[in-house]
Amino acid sequence: MPIVQLHQIRKLYDTKVAVEGLTLSIEAGSMFGLLGPNGSGKSSSIRMMIGITRPDSGTVRLFNQPFSRAALPRIGYLPEERGLYKKMNVLEQLVFLGQLHALGADDAAKRAKSWCEKLQIAEAIGKKTEELSKGMQQKIQFIAALLHEPELIIMDEPFSGLDPVNAALLMDTLLDQRKQGRAILFSTHRMDQVERFCDEIALLYKGKLVLEGSMRDVKSRYSANRLHVNFTGDASFLDHPAIAKFKIFGERAEITLHDSEGAQLVLHQAVSRGTRFTRFEVMEPTLEEIFIETVGENVDA
Amino acid sequence: MRNIWLIARREYLERVRTRAFMVATLLIPLILGGLGYGGGFLAQRTKSSAHVAILSNDAVFAQDLKSQLEKGKDSNMLVDIAPANDAARARLTTELKASNSALTGFLEVVPAPDKGDRPRFIYRGRSASDIGTDTLLKTGIKGALLRERLSGTGMDGDEINAALAPIEIENPETGDTTAAFFGAYVLFILMYMVIMLYSMNTARSIIEEKSSRIFEVLLSTITSDELLAGKILGVGAVGVTQTAIWMTAAGGLGVYFAGSLAGSGGHSIITVPQMLFFVLYFIFAFLLYSAIAAGLGAITNSEQELQQLNLFLVMPLAFCMLVVVMVVKSPDSTLSRIVSLIPFCSPLLMNLRISIGSPRPWEIWLSFLLMSLAIAAILWVSSRVYRIGILMYGKKPNLPEILRWLKYS
Repeated sequence: MPIVQLHQIRKLYDTKVAVEGLTLSIEAGSMFGLLGPNGSGKSSSIRMMIGITRPDSGTVRLFNQPFSRAALPRIGYLPEERGLYKKMNVLEQLVFLGQLHALGADDAAKRAKSWCEKLQIAEAIGKKTEELSKGMQQKIQFIAALLHEPELIIMDEPFSGLDPVNAALLMDTLLDQRKQGRAILFSTHRMDQVERFCDEIALLYKGKLVLEGSMRDVKSRYSANRLHVNFTGDASFLDHPAIAKFKIFGERAEITLHDSEGAQLVLHQAVSRGTRFTRFEVMEPTLEEIFIETVGENVDA
Repeated sequence: MRNIWLIARREYLERVRTRAFMVATLLIPLILGGLGYGGGFLAQRTKSSAHVAILSNDAVFAQDLKSQLEKGKDSNMLVDIAPANDAARARLTTELKASNSALTGFLEVVPAPDKGDRPRFIYRGRSASDIGTDTLLKTGIKGALLRERLSGTGMDGDEINAALAPIEIENPETGDTTAAFFGAYVLFILMYMVIMLYSMNTARSIIEEKSSRIFEVLLSTITSDELLAGKILGVGAVGVTQTAIWMTAAGGLGVYFAGSLAGSGGHSIITVPQMLFFVLYFIFAFLLYSAIAAGLGAITNSEQELQQLNLFLVMPLAFCMLVVVMVVKSPDSTLSRIVSLIPFCSPLLMNLRISIGSPRPWEIWLSFLLMSLAIAAILWVSSRVYRIGILMYGKKPNLPEILRWLKYS
C-alpha cells in the first residue's frame, strides 16, 4: 500500500519557487531517500506532506486516502530544526508529545521508559531536558518521533550532530522499524550516509525532481565505469585510451573510464609495464557522482 | 479539543509549579498593600513645611494668615511677616534667587482701593509648579478673609473656630469612604499589573517556544489555531488562579480584620461583587491583551525585540492611567462613561467605576460586549500572524510583510 503519494505538488514562497511539479510515492516497509543539496525543497516537501503548509497546487495522499489531519498521529516526524521544551522533565516531555499523538498518558510513560533503555539513556529520564548533552537531546527527540509506533517515519537530517557510534545505533533502530513494515522517509544532503540503506530515492534540485526510482534502477542506469587503484611503480598506464579522465593522489588514482569494459585493458597494459597493484577496484558511481553528473558541476552540496 | 486541552494543561502546570509563581502570589499583594497603605498613611501625616514670607501692611490679616499656614490641617509652614515696602520686597527677591536660602516664595497683599473689596494677592515663588504651596496659600487666604468678615459681624474667636471646624461625615451603611476608595484604587493598580504581567507572559512563552524550535514538532500533529488557543487558555488559567487566590485572601482578611480596622466601621474594604468583577474583567482583559501579545510574540525572535514592541501593550494601559484622575473626580460624567466603554480601558476604568461610581447595568453589559468584539477581531488578525510567524526565524518582518501574511489562508 502506498503510504505517501504526492502528485504534481507546487509551493511558492512569495516569488520564490520552493517545490515544482513533484510527484512521488512511498511504499510501506521501504526506506525512501529524499536527497538534494541545501535549499533544494526537501523540507518544504515534507512540510506539505504533514500539513504544516499547504501546497499551492497538486494533491497529497496519506495511507491511500486524500490528505486529512486525522492521519497525522500515524506519522512520526523528526524535524531538521530540533526542538524540545528546555525546562521540562524528559519523561513528562515524552509523555506530552506522545499524548499529542493520541497515546494515553500511562501507555506513553511505559513506552518512553523502555525506549530510553533501548537507546542507552535511561539515566536521563528524570532530568530536565536542558541538563542533557546535545547527543542525548537528539535521542530524546528521536524517541518522541517513534513513541506512538507511527506507520510513516519522517527523518529530516537525522544524523546531523551525532557521533558515529550513536548514528549507527539510530540507523540500526530504523532498519529494525523497516523490518516491522514501517515506511521511512529520509531527507538529507549527505548522500553518502544513506546510500547503503535506501530502497528508493528521489533527488531534488532547485525544487524539481531530477532523478527518481529504486536504488538498483538508478545505479544500473549508470555503468560501473569508476576505477580506484593503489599502485607502486610506473604510472604511465594512465595514458591508456580507455581512460576518460583521472585524478592522481601520490600512489592512488581515481579513474573514470569510457565504459566498464576498459578496466581489463588498462590492467593488462599496466601489468605488462611492471606496475604493481595493492588495490584494483571497479566501482559503481556513488549517488553523489550521479547527482553531480545529472545537474552539472555547479552544486554547493 | 483534546489537543487544546493538552497544550493548555502543559502550559498551566509548567507555570504554576515554578517558584516564581508562588513568590509573586505572595509578594505582589504584600508590596502593593504596604505601598498603598503606607503611602496613604504618610500622605495624610505629612504636612507642608515650606518657608514663605507675607508682605502686608494689614498686621491683623497677616497674623491671621500666618497662624493658618503654621498650624493648619495640612500645613506646618514657617511664615515671616514684613511690611509691604520696596526695601522688604528687594530683600526677599534677592533671597529668593540665592541658592543657599530656604525661602520658598513670598506673598504680597495689595489692599483694595475701595474699603470692603478683596485685596489682590501676588505670589513670587522659587518654583513655577509648586502646586502644594499654591493650594495651601489659597486655602489659608480664604480662611483668613472669612475670619476677617466674621469678626466684622461681631463674632468672637471661639465662635469663629467652632463655625470653621472640619466636618466629619459618617457612613454607617458602607463604611469609611477613604478606606473604600483606597481598596478600589489598590484593585485598579493590581489590575494594571496583572494585565501587563500575563499578557507579557503569553508573548514570552511564544518566544521561548520559537527559540527552542519546538513548533515544527507540535505543528506536525496540531494546528496553529489549536496551539494558540491552548497557549492563551493555559497562561490565562494561571492568571485566574492567581487573582482568585488574591481575591479570596483579601475577602477573608477583610472580614477578619473588618472589626478591628480603624475607621472601617465594621465593613470590609473590598466587597464580594468587587472581587467577582475583578476576576471577570481580568479574564476579558487578559484575552484582549494577550491576543495582541501573541501577535507580537510571533513576529519577534527575542525578549529584546519584544521590548521594542511592547509599546502596543503599554500605550492603552498608560492612557487609562492618565484619565483615571478624571474618572476618580467624577466617575459618572459623560467623559468617564465614554472612556470606560473603550474595550482596552473597560477592565481598568469600568471596573473602577463599579467601585467608586454607579454605572448602569447596561453600561457594564455593553463593556463586556465591546470587549468580546474586540477580542474576536484581534484574535482574527493575531492567529494569522501567528500561523506564519512561528515558523519564521531570523529577520523581524516589516509591516507590508505582516499585512501579506493576513491574506494567506
